[in-house]
Amino acid sequence: MSIPIPSINIGAILPEIILIATAFVIIFVELFAPKRWRLGIPIICFAGLLAGFYAVGSLWGETIFAFGESVTSDNFALFFKFIFLLGALLVTLISVDYLKREGIYHAEYFFLILLSTVGMMIMASSLDLISIFLGLEVMSIALYVLAGFNRTDPRSNEASLKYFLIGAFASGFLLYGIALLYGNFHTTNLGEIFALLSGQESLSIIGLIGIVLVLIGFFFKVAFVPFHMWVPDVYQGAPTSVTAFMSAGPKAAGFAVLLRIVIYAFNTSSPEFTNLLWIVAVVTMSVGNIVAIAQNNLKRMLAYSSIAHAGYVLVAVVAGGPVGTSAAMFYLLVYTLMNVGAFSILIVFGKRGEDNLNFSDYAGLASKYPLGALAMTLFMLSLAGIPPTAGFVGKFYVFSAAVSQGYVTLAVIGVLNSLISVYYYIRVVVVMYMSAKPAEKFYFTYSVPAIIALIIAAWGTLQLGILPERWLSLAKDSIFSFLL
Amino acid sequence: MFDLAFYILAVLILGSALMVVTLRNIFHCALFLVLCMFSIAGIYILLEAEFIAAVQVLIYVGAVTILMIFAVMLTHQLTGKTIRQVNDQPIAALFIISSLLVLTLLALSKTTWEVASSSGVSPSATELGRALMTVYVLPFEVVSVVLLVALVGAIVISRGD
Amino acid sequence: MPVPLGYYLGLAAIIFTVGVIGVLVRRNAIIILMSIELMLNGANLTLVAFSVHLQELSGQVFVFLVMTVAAAEAAVGLAIIVMIFRNRESVNVDNLNIMKW
Repeated sequence: MSIPIPSINIGAILPEIILIATAFVIIFVELFAPKRWRLGIPIICFAGLLAGFYAVGSLWGETIFAFGESVTSDNFALFFKFIFLLGALLVTLISVDYLKREGIYHAEYFFLILLSTVGMMIMASSLDLISIFLGLEVMSIALYVLAGFNRTDPRSNEASLKYFLIGAFASGFLLYGIALLYGNFHTTNLGEIFALLSGQESLSIIGLIGIVLVLIGFFFKVAFVPFHMWVPDVYQGAPTSVTAFMSAGPKAAGFAVLLRIVIYAFNTSSPEFTNLLWIVAVVTMSVGNIVAIAQNNLKRMLAYSSIAHAGYVLVAVVAGGPVGTSAAMFYLLVYTLMNVGAFSILIVFGKRGEDNLNFSDYAGLASKYPLGALAMTLFMLSLAGIPPTAGFVGKFYVFSAAVSQGYVTLAVIGVLNSLISVYYYIRVVVVMYMSAKPAEKFYFTYSVPAIIALIIAAWGTLQLGILPERWLSLAKDSIFSFLL
Repeated sequence: MFDLAFYILAVLILGSALMVVTLRNIFHCALFLVLCMFSIAGIYILLEAEFIAAVQVLIYVGAVTILMIFAVMLTHQLTGKTIRQVNDQPIAALFIISSLLVLTLLALSKTTWEVASSSGVSPSATELGRALMTVYVLPFEVVSVVLLVALVGAIVISRGD
Repeated sequence: MPVPLGYYLGLAAIIFTVGVIGVLVRRNAIIILMSIELMLNGANLTLVAFSVHLQELSGQVFVFLVMTVAAAEAAVGLAIIVMIFRNRESVNVDNLNIMKW
């Protein structure tokens, strides 16, 4: 009896395999190695992530299909894998001393970070709804646990439960949507769906309900308004390093799938989709920014700002085409750098238990820690989109993509929104530099890895702001693999 | 005969599902969930998907609901405290969701399903196994990663030290 | 298939909807989890019905994988619920309000 085996092409998922292997090494070290070796676990994690970067670099430029066309390793996936690896690397660096300070230094933390990254990578490179769903679950289940990693802290517990319930609820919608799409197209492969759609005139009503349910599932995960209500609580309650992780990779992974589904499979340019996304983009930007103004807790403020930033990326998705897609990808890269940077500052200046995250706790920080305040200023300016930072360039590309595709109103609303956002970002800077009543005591955790992460993030934020062409052209190279 | 079995199972499923979401005693909810899962397995047998029916009984009845009953027993006294169990905005939720349901049912009834061109027999466990090891080997591996993450995660979260 | 496909799909849609209602109106985390399992079962039934109708394997493979995922999800979810119960002796979602909504 002969069994036909499809082309496997293990090489296409090399980055995933490297990270899974690293995760296994970490678990085995934790289980069997002498106790003092445990301090080396972050180093193993770091090395694994670097190897992942190397694998991504070596695969760059080729388009490989593997496992019977259900997975691809094209530049689009690789660009996103780079973002995920960058997020995981920075988070690994900022976590080391943070976990020790909070008394939750366990090897499983790094194991879960790595496997969550694997899930994101599978999402980014899948061409099949089955493996997209499974990748999403790997990522999400690891994140539910990470959000509740500080087991004795009730806020962390609450974040974990809320994130879990919302996440599982969203998975239900996603799954039902996939089931209806399967019934409509007789396949779950995006490539085949694409082929069917380009032949057919329009979607049947069942297919339409299916795609809407899939989109709702992802809207929950990426946290677009009105599916955002979990974000502030989860972001505030989760350990800060986990919040940094959640705001970077998983969001980008959700966008990777959205871009694939919207542009690759449902690029029939049906105006209903674009109109729907248009409205969601406007509401998401506006609600995120306006509610962020009212926040006094920095972590919560960054949570709302992350909602708003998802809205900006969605503007680029609405614009679509090569310009919009590459602008969205570039923005996600920039956002990872500047946002994880801002969270690193919160980690370095936090105290055990993290009670000092209000604006007033940072009053007058510049006089005591001028470099820290300078770095925070850089990240805030970048988040606000002020030149010469990367945030400005990212927003510039996003909005000019919208204008070039004829969405002028959308671009104007976006610019107005980023003007609103300047208020609350600059407020942080003002508090740090010109507060009449400085905070009584600052807490500073001296952590070499976290400082390295800060330097990487700050350097990246400036580099992408001053010389963005190289990275933008990489983003442009990434999309042609499936747009053309 | 098939018709009758379908209607009986459908009534059982819907009745027990409604019980799950309305009853006050959580333990009773869990028991009705078991009944619901069993009846759904019956539907799979009607559909001649015996393997899936077996897996449904093994995983849902045997693992998931038992796990839930454990959780209920760990977190509640069995004497059955009945506290208020309903949200403040059930009406709005019911309205939105039932309109969604009506829309979906309308769409389902409007759609005519073309019969598949190939006239093969219903897939057997052998074919499923073969597919899992060949075409779907990647999802199969990824699902093992899901299980690993869940295993490690559940232990991390619930161990006491 | 003596019973038309549409009946199975309709049944699945109703199961799914009952699950959604349960998630939205109930406050106990364990019951919300049960309602989510109902939603997943509705989706599974849809997949199996389509798969049998189309004589196509991938739907059933998917259901098999989804069930495994559901079990993993339930395990993690219940671990989270037990962890919370240890810390504060209640698993009602509304009692979790240290942080404002």
